[in-house]
Amino acid sequence: MNLEVLVYLLIGIIVALSLIPLWRLALDYYLEWSEVNRRANELLRSVLTDEQYRQLKRHGYLDIPSPRDPECIYRVPHAPDQVGVIEQGRLKAGLCLQPLEKVPDSDIVVMHKLMIEADEETYLQTANKFIAI
Amino acid sequence: MGMLRVISKRGDDRVHWNEQDALTGDPEAMAAIREAERIFASERARGSTAFHVEAGKPVERLEQFDPQATQIILVPQVVGG
Repeated sequence: MNLEVLVYLLIGIIVALSLIPLWRLALDYYLEWSEVNRRANELLRSVLTDEQYRQLKRHGYLDIPSPRDPECIYRVPHAPDQVGVIEQGRLKAGLCLQPLEKVPDSDIVVMHKLMIEADEETYLQTANKFIAI
Repeated sequence: MGMLRVISKRGDDRVHWNEQDALTGDPEAMAAIREAERIFASERARGSTAFHVEAGKPVERLEQFDPQATQIILVPQVVGG
């Protein structure tokens, strides 16, 4: 083994060793976020009926009937996106509402469900509304 | 048994209490209720909204801590996006 190869090998080892703390940090973050998501999914599962949970898993959204208007449905996505307001089967508007702190997507679904079912008026007053064209 | 679940960036933090034990004067149970009440007040002051969630019953918004509730969920402050 000549000297040049030895130097490259040494540099490679030094670089690999210096990256270990970064890998460790990334792994810790990943594990922590996985646990946060697991807990959020558990909470989501506990507040949904079996039928609602199946719909969310199958279609990626949850339909929540409006408590004040039997012809209106809120379509809450399981990913960051607007909530659809569906009236008589047609998309009428999009609603945008978000928590001030970053929380898992499942917790956001819980948030929409609780607010719509318990206090729809405040929910509508707080959300920004975008009329569908 | 009652449970307070606080939604946050850490998932949901949970506090449990036993109202029956507190009614019999159990100091630990009473302390658990006081702790849940303290967290409830603190989160409400930060703009969170509280909901009483019980299986088979309509969801209700809560303004005051209710030790008889089986499950209270606190949602962090929300804004129009």
